[in-house]
Amino acid sequence: MIWVMVTLLAFAAGMLTQLRVRSPLANPTLIGTLIVAAALLLTRVPYDTYLHDVQPLSALLTPAVVALAVPLYRLRALLARQWRALLIGGLTGTTLGVMVDTLLARALHLSPDAQRALHTAPATSPVALQLAPFTHAPPALAATLAVLSGLIGALILPALLTALRVRHPLARGIAIGSVAHGVGTARAREEGEQTGAASSIGMGLAAILVTLIVAVVGGSGP
Amino acid sequence: MTSGSVTARLPAPARFVLGLGLLLAFAAAGQALTGALGLPLPGSVVGLVLLWAALGLKLVRLHWITDAADGLLGILGLLFIPATVGFLQFLSAGAAWGLWVLVMTAGLLVGAGAAGLLASRLLRPEDS
Repeated sequence: MIWVMVTLLAFAAGMLTQLRVRSPLANPTLIGTLIVAAALLLTRVPYDTYLHDVQPLSALLTPAVVALAVPLYRLRALLARQWRALLIGGLTGTTLGVMVDTLLARALHLSPDAQRALHTAPATSPVALQLAPFTHAPPALAATLAVLSGLIGALILPALLTALRVRHPLARGIAIGSVAHGVGTARAREEGEQTGAASSIGMGLAAILVTLIVAVVGGSGP
Repeated sequence: MTSGSVTARLPAPARFVLGLGLLLAFAAAGQALTGALGLPLPGSVVGLVLLWAALGLKLVRLHWITDAADGLLGILGLLFIPATVGFLQFLSAGAAWGLWVLVMTAGLLVGAGAAGLLASRLLRPEDS
């Protein structure tokens, strides 16, 4: 249980940092991960030992993924009013994101592990993690690349959308949420309530869509 | 909280426990369904869809699960730290990380760019 304690305290340190530094890079998961990684390297504790010790924490991931239904249900009025823009925009964005991640990774001859892990990068990390047994990706790599994808998205996507003259908060939100999931949604919320709401919808839809894509395409692989 | 039902008057800790139990029940139901049908899907995502449907059909009341759901989603970032710490196993990939970041950045730009442009054209104007 000592590593559960270290992980909790490292995450709390990350949340405190986020309160003081308003930057997408001050992300509690990123900071928590780096602190725990440093602690493991310093104490020379192997990753497998750590993973076994923190199992109680990982067990909460399954109900947390189910809980994503709540924001989707709460926003049902918005979804009903603007379903064409949100559904078609979001699903297109996620599909293209998965396609580029898959095809470009293949074109660049990345290692098989990296190729498989990149399939799920546009889905929120817990979903990427739960999909790893089906894509045959190393779970750690799938989760890490998904977090990185959210971080980079939160950093670059607002500027991209402004450059493309996408000004409507709902359009900006669905674009960010459909590929940059949780971290992106946190950033989108800073732009306003509507942007955050649309981003939550994008994240929820991406979780479902990436799962379906993996079921149809990835799951049939070796 | 709008309804005058007994459950709306449950104290918050009891609602939290009820909610967590229900979330686990839907996860288990999703797991059972994927297992029975042999679907290549994680049970938790199927549980998400089942819960969404149950809320829509009013089989599950929103206030039964909000406390637990908001609590878990509030610390979602904590729950996958055990997995992300596993990047330690891939430190030896070294320069390859640059290519991985390049690929996902391309995916982000193309996906979000298309979604943003498409959504702004499809938005119904009355809502702004």
